[in-house]
Amino acid sequence: MKFINTIAVQTSRNLQKTWPTQVMTLLTVSLSVLIFSFFFLIYTNMIKTGERLGDDLRLTIYLEEEPVMEMQAQLVRKIINFSPVEEIRFTSRDDAYRRLAAQLGDNVDVLDDLDASFLPPSIEVYPKKNLSTLAQIQRFSEYLSTLPGAIKVQYGQEWVERFNYFTKLLQIIVLLSGFLLIMTTTFMVAYTIRLAVVARQAELEILRLLGATNNYIRTPFLIEGFLQGILGSSLGLLALFFLYRWIQLRFSGPGILQLVEFTFFSPAIIWIIIAASIALCIGGSFSSMRKFMRI
Amino acid sequence: METQSTHKPIIEIVRATKVYPPDVVALEDISLSVQYGEMLFLTGMSGAGKTTLLKLICGMEYPDKGLIEVAGKDLNRIKAKELPGLRQQIGMAYQDFKLLADRTVAQNIAMAMEVAYHNMRTIKKRVIELLQKLRLEHKHDALAGRLSRGEQQRVAIARAVANSPTLILADEPTGNLDSKTTKLVMELFEDCNSTGTTVFIATHDEDIYRGSNHRVIELHSGRILQQDDRATSTLNNMP
Repeated sequence: MKFINTIAVQTSRNLQKTWPTQVMTLLTVSLSVLIFSFFFLIYTNMIKTGERLGDDLRLTIYLEEEPVMEMQAQLVRKIINFSPVEEIRFTSRDDAYRRLAAQLGDNVDVLDDLDASFLPPSIEVYPKKNLSTLAQIQRFSEYLSTLPGAIKVQYGQEWVERFNYFTKLLQIIVLLSGFLLIMTTTFMVAYTIRLAVVARQAELEILRLLGATNNYIRTPFLIEGFLQGILGSSLGLLALFFLYRWIQLRFSGPGILQLVEFTFFSPAIIWIIIAASIALCIGGSFSSMRKFMRI
Repeated sequence: METQSTHKPIIEIVRATKVYPPDVVALEDISLSVQYGEMLFLTGMSGAGKTTLLKLICGMEYPDKGLIEVAGKDLNRIKAKELPGLRQQIGMAYQDFKLLADRTVAQNIAMAMEVAYHNMRTIKKRVIELLQKLRLEHKHDALAGRLSRGEQQRVAIARAVANSPTLILADEPTGNLDSKTTKLVMELFEDCNSTGTTVFIATHDEDIYRGSNHRVIELHSGRILQQDDRATSTLNNMP
C-alpha cells in the first residue's frame, strides 16, 4: 500500500511536470489508433460483406442445347467431381423466359414480339462456401466452360474481381497502418519517456544516491506508458465510434451502405486494440528505461 | 543493514587506494575502522581526500585497490539490488548539497523518506520536526533554488538525517554556516549519535571538533596522517 501511494505521488508529480509532452504523445497515440482502427473497421466489414456475398455466389453456365436427362446427370457428375457444390439447378428455355417475364413485371409487353425460346438454357451452380477465393472461383469457372455444350460461364466476374482487389488493397492498408501504429506508439512513448529521463537526470541521480530501488524509479515511467496506452487508444476508438455514427446517420439512405451491413467492432476487438496499445506503450517506456538502467 | 553489533565495525577500510585519471592519487593505502554508534571527524586541507573517502564509503565511487566494507557488505562485491537498501541506511550530506532547485524544501527532505516508502503522514511530521530543529520551518514551501547557501546546507543535512539512518556521512556540513547555526547542526548530529547512529563528519573547521571527545582522523595528500581518539593520540601512517 505504501509502495502504491508513493508511486502514485511520484507519477502524478512527473505528469504535472511534463504534461505538454505527455499531451502531444497522447494525441499521437490516439491518432495512430484512429487511423489503424478506421481501416481495420472497413476491412472487417468488407470481409463480412464478402462472406455474405459469397453465400449468394452463383455461376451460370449457358448451354447451346437443352440437355436431356442422361446428359443432365452426366453434367452433374462432372461438376461434382471437380468441386462439391451446394446445389445445381437446370433452367430450360421456357423457365428462363418465364423468369424474365416475371422480372419485367408491368413491362412484360416488350417480350411480345420475341420468340419464347430466344433465351438459352442454363445450369446454375451454387458452390460450397469454401469456394471463396477469386482464384478458386476463376478455376471453377474455367472448368465449367469446358463442359460439353457450354457457351459461356457468368458469375459477375468483374464485380467479384474488383471486390477481391479492393479487399486486398484494404488488407495492405490495414497492415501499413498497423505498422504505423506500432512505430508511432512505441517510438513516441519511448521518446517522451527518454525526454523525461533526460530532463530528470539530476533528480534520478539523487534518488539513486538516496537508495531508490529500480522499481521506485522505473514504475512511474511504466505507469506513464500504461496511461498513454489506455487513454490514447480509448480516445482513438471513441473518435472512431463518433465517426462511425456520423457516417451511419449521413449515409443511412439507399446506397453502398445498404449493400454493406456496416457494424462497429465487437467488445472483444475493442479490448484487443486497447490491450495491444497498452502493451506497445509500456514496451516503448520499458525500452527507454532499460537504457537508463544500464547507466 | 544488519543489526548493530559491538564486535563488527560499521565501516571497515583496508588498504584502499583511489586514483582518478590520468594519475591523480586521491587516496593511498587507507585503512580505517569505525564502530557502530561512533561519532568521528575527518579533517585535512582541501584536496586531502576527505570527500573521496566519504564517496567510497557511500558507494558513490569504488576503490581501485583495497577493501571497503559497510555494515558487513563488501562494496566491491555488493549486488546491484542490495545497494539501494544499504544507501537508505546511509544519510549523506553532500558538500554541493545535491538539492533539486525546482522543488520545495519539504519535498527535498521528503525524498529520502519516500524512497524508503514511508507513509505520507510520517514524512510530513518528520519534515516539520527537522525544519524546526534547524530553524527553517518558515522555509517549508520555499523552492530550494531560492535559498541562501547556508539554508541549502541545512536542508541537505535535514535530508541526510530524515530517514533515521544507521550511518550519517556529512561533507563539510558547516562550511557555509555562522557559529550559531553551526551549533544547531552539531546538536542535531549529537542527538542522532546519542540514539546509536554512527556519524562521520568531514570538515576543516577546527571549532567543531576541538574539545570534543570524539575521534579525529587527519588526512594529508590522500593518506591518513593522524588518528586522535582523544585518549591516545597516535601517529598512524598505516603500513
